[in-house]
Amino acid sequence: MREHVLTSLIVLSAVLASVLLVTLPVIGQSPDTKSKKSTYTPPKLPWGDPDLQGLWPGTDLIEVPLQRDAKAGERTEVTQEEFAQRQAKAERTAENDKVAYVAKDSKVGINPPGYWLEHGKPQKITSLVVDPPNGRIPELTEQAKQKAAQAKQAKQGHGPNETWEDQSLYDRCISRGVMGSILPVIYNNGTQIVQGPGYVAIRYEMIHETKIIPLDGRPHPGSNIKSYMGDSRGHWEGNTLVIETTNFLGDKNGIGLNGGGTPHSADMVLTEKWTRTGPDMMEYTATINDPKTWVRPWTIRMPLRLNPEFPLYEYACHEGNYAMFNMLKGARAEEKAAEEAAKTGKK
Amino acid sequence: MRKILSVSAALIGLLVAVSPVRAHHAFAAEYDGKKQVHLEGVVTQMEWINPHTWIHIDVTEPDGKVTSWMVEGGSPNILLRRGFNKGSLEKGQKIAVDGFQAKDGSNRANGSNITYPDGKKLFLGSSGTGAPADPGPNK
Repeated sequence: MREHVLTSLIVLSAVLASVLLVTLPVIGQSPDTKSKKSTYTPPKLPWGDPDLQGLWPGTDLIEVPLQRDAKAGERTEVTQEEFAQRQAKAERTAENDKVAYVAKDSKVGINPPGYWLEHGKPQKITSLVVDPPNGRIPELTEQAKQKAAQAKQAKQGHGPNETWEDQSLYDRCISRGVMGSILPVIYNNGTQIVQGPGYVAIRYEMIHETKIIPLDGRPHPGSNIKSYMGDSRGHWEGNTLVIETTNFLGDKNGIGLNGGGTPHSADMVLTEKWTRTGPDMMEYTATINDPKTWVRPWTIRMPLRLNPEFPLYEYACHEGNYAMFNMLKGARAEEKAAEEAAKTGKK
Repeated sequence: MRKILSVSAALIGLLVAVSPVRAHHAFAAEYDGKKQVHLEGVVTQMEWINPHTWIHIDVTEPDGKVTSWMVEGGSPNILLRRGFNKGSLEKGQKIAVDGFQAKDGSNRANGSNITYPDGKKLFLGSSGTGAPADPGPNK
């Protein structure tokens, strides 16, 4: 059990670290930018649109890093040996999960135990980022680098828990943004598509978001209208649903797990494509085009598996967000203890 | 009924050194890694709330005094997917909890290990997501 938790911690930490790592400059365009043509013809809805409806959780992909290990270069799939290691690890995790009793010498951790987490399935893909061809997030623009440096400067001498505003938008139960809502994380990766004539709705379990996407070609609202999830318009290209989202609030969410990573600007244009590639498989791609933040557009691709047994449960995040005041009260208690210690020291 | 034990600083140091899982929030900001607790008590309430569940227990001290504790549990959504439901943990059930106490010294703890008195895990895991149609990680 503890081994399982520690293993999970290490894997998840590696995933998070890969998101945060400084990226390398990228040269050239990728042959992987465009989705592979699917020969599968999806069923049609009564009004003629391709049927994409269903539950498409990203759970299978939890262990796939967003960015590729730099050592893998432009290799999009792991080696046979690496895949065997992933399979062996998954088997160990499954075995640990079956242990019914906590061992007497089990270690006690401050982090969440393994039974809180969902587990992925061994995958051959080396990263979710497929373009640039090295599978890594492009370099930040000079403007974005300066903004990041200023943000870091502003945090100098400021504790991590001085106000609720020090917490992420995820911790504050506000929004993980469009990409933060779909990139696979440790749990609650439910995503559901529901269609009606002229509209597609996409529901995200955590944190309780629904995107309603008109398909009638109406223009986006004026540029002063902005939101965390942006404004989406959709159209069909063959059997592929193409969604263009604009009108974002800038400098809020990033394109990382749970909305982390470098925040995108208000000018980002996000192009998502949903293509069914088989009766129970969907290819999802998202191209991030934000010239104020990244030196070139970049693309994430995820194979999503239909899982009718993965219903979305309500995620009324703020209902029980006790952790917010627990963290703030904890910080105040530490400050008080430090003050007391300082006074005692002076006497 | 109640035992609060301390463990060696070395063990705690080892655990704290492990990079944190990004759960809904930073547990190291909520709980004090120097205040390990072992609690045995009876369930008075389980709050099925997001982002995380909370189990309320009454712990009886050796002198008969009863103190109430709140123990932070997993996301209700995943517990439900793993087959744990509203009827799984009823009022009056005896449980044991190992974890760390809140930094502000109040009677709150994280639930690193939550078991029945015989050591059986309260939330037994399963392969994959635990959903009935999920074939597990090896299929």
